Amino acid sequence: MSDDHDGVPELLAAWALGALQSADERAVPPHLAECESCAAEAERLRETVRLLDGPPGAPEPPAPGTGPGGGAGPDGVVALALRARPAAPRVAAHAAPYAAAVCSLTALLREVGGHRPWGTPVVHDWDVRDTVGHLIAADEGLARGLGVRTHAPPSRITRDTGWEDAWETRTAEVIAYERTRSPDRTVAAWSAQSAALLATAEALDAGRAARVMELTGVRLPVADHFLVRAFETWIHTDDVGRALGLAVPPPPGEHLGRLVRLAVRLLGPALGPAAAPVLFAVPDAGDDARWVLGAGGEPVRGELTLRAVDFCLLVGGRHTPASVPRSATGDADAVRNVLERAASLAWL
Amino acid sequence: MPVEPTLHTSERPSSDAELHRRLVYGDESALAEAYTAYGGLVRRVAVRVTRSTVAAEDVAQEVFAQLWSRPYAFDAGRGSLRTWLSVLAHRRAVDWVRSEARHRKDTRADDSALHAIPDAGPGPDEAVVDRERALLLHSALAELPQSQREVVHLAYFAGRTYRQAAVELGIPEGTAKTRLRSALRRLAVSLADAPEPPEPSGSPEPPEPSEPPEPSEPPESSGPPDPAWEKGA
Repeated sequence: MSDDHDGVPELLAAWALGALQSADERAVPPHLAECESCAAEAERLRETVRLLDGPPGAPEPPAPGTGPGGGAGPDGVVALALRARPAAPRVAAHAAPYAAAVCSLTALLREVGGHRPWGTPVVHDWDVRDTVGHLIAADEGLARGLGVRTHAPPSRITRDTGWEDAWETRTAEVIAYERTRSPDRTVAAWSAQSAALLATAEALDAGRAARVMELTGVRLPVADHFLVRAFETWIHTDDVGRALGLAVPPPPGEHLGRLVRLAVRLLGPALGPAAAPVLFAVPDAGDDARWVLGAGGEPVRGELTLRAVDFCLLVGGRHTPASVPRSATGDADAVRNVLERAASLAWL
Repeated sequence: MPVEPTLHTSERPSSDAELHRRLVYGDESALAEAYTAYGGLVRRVAVRVTRSTVAAEDVAQEVFAQLWSRPYAFDAGRGSLRTWLSVLAHRRAVDWVRSEARHRKDTRADDSALHAIPDAGPGPDEAVVDRERALLLHSALAELPQSQREVVHLAYFAGRTYRQAAVELGIPEGTAKTRLRSALRRLAVSLADAPEPPEPSGSPEPPEPSEPPEPSEPPESSGPPDPAWEKGA
């Protein structure tokens, strides 16, 4: 027997499990024939695997999709799973990102409780329940505008309150109210309101969503207000996920692309017609996701490329102009101006 | 030129991450895809442990219902969906066998599963003992540290070589081999530590029939196998 056992001891477990590379398979048996200690270990490991297999006579797993007695097909499995959690409701394309974001937050909130308490601090001075309370307040404007009956508490906001004050006051009112009852009821109230929003004609029909409505100081088509709701719901879901230590994946690519285009539509006016023009690209939002921002008719002064998710997080206030990963060339001031304007959109 | 944070455009989401994202956002077609891709593995794992196609079917239903209803329980950044589903199926299957064993013991009913053992196999008594040992080993497997458990699942249930498992887990080959070895040794030790030490393999005498032992909780400690093991004790 050789002193180093030719590396065979390291291979014995893989050998016992039948997980060797074919080249290794040639090395093991000759060594076992001449090395007592390796042969003993090999025997014991193989016996362990044999016992793991159990006695002979185990049935074969049924082939999938063979119906009763055999394996259920995907349809049966999906149908049963949908009883435990409904799929995102089918709505028009402009409301689909909101439907999906609601679905994601609903799933995330199922993980709250036990060692991930409702009182976990999230953002500002909100815990998980307060963050859901904020979303109730934030969704309320669109809900009211679409004739959805909104829930208590009554508001002391008057007609002449500015939108920013109204926004903050309403959030404070709802959070204070929700703190008086169980988190389950807060979640139920949020779920009911978002489900009602997604059941409106404006969620189901693009034509009905074309009308313009002013909310939080911005005049936009209702379709875009649905995108704003999706945006904020996702950003706060991400906040809650971070607080709980659970990674929240960004919205599906098509949804993210819609959020990017909405943000660009808002960024143009925010920059104004005199800003130094910058070529702005978001390659993962599609080949056509390239815009010249700022003054038209002048040579581009700089180029800025961001990933869709990073651009959204910048607009959502979760990246700063300094921290957002970017690729930039040309006039640094012009580029910085675009980043700062994007960050200042601060919807959320 | 830019000294600012740079953009890594080459990063592409893995197919697991993409599938998970669709599950999270409530796209049920992602569940059908996951079932098509991993349903076979899940049922293979479950039938190996439960030795019942009906039970395996129930386990598979449960596993995919959980993937759908609790999508945040899976983190695409921490492991592959394949190993996660395999581990979940295994755990559920072990639970099923344990509760069956308890049920059998409580009712003293006929061991209907026993009648399913074909005549050509070992004698019924030996088969019973082997099934107890298998349950013991599967219980121990379910309690392995995650890093060891994953590589065992890939090698044992998913039929990967240690090299393929290493690639899939993003670890060096040597690490995969070491983890397989540590895992299997630990399983062997759990068997040796069991209340009824097994007969040496190849014993011509069938072991004494005995009361099915309660599945003992596998040791929590991550201590190495005892030195006696090296002598083949």
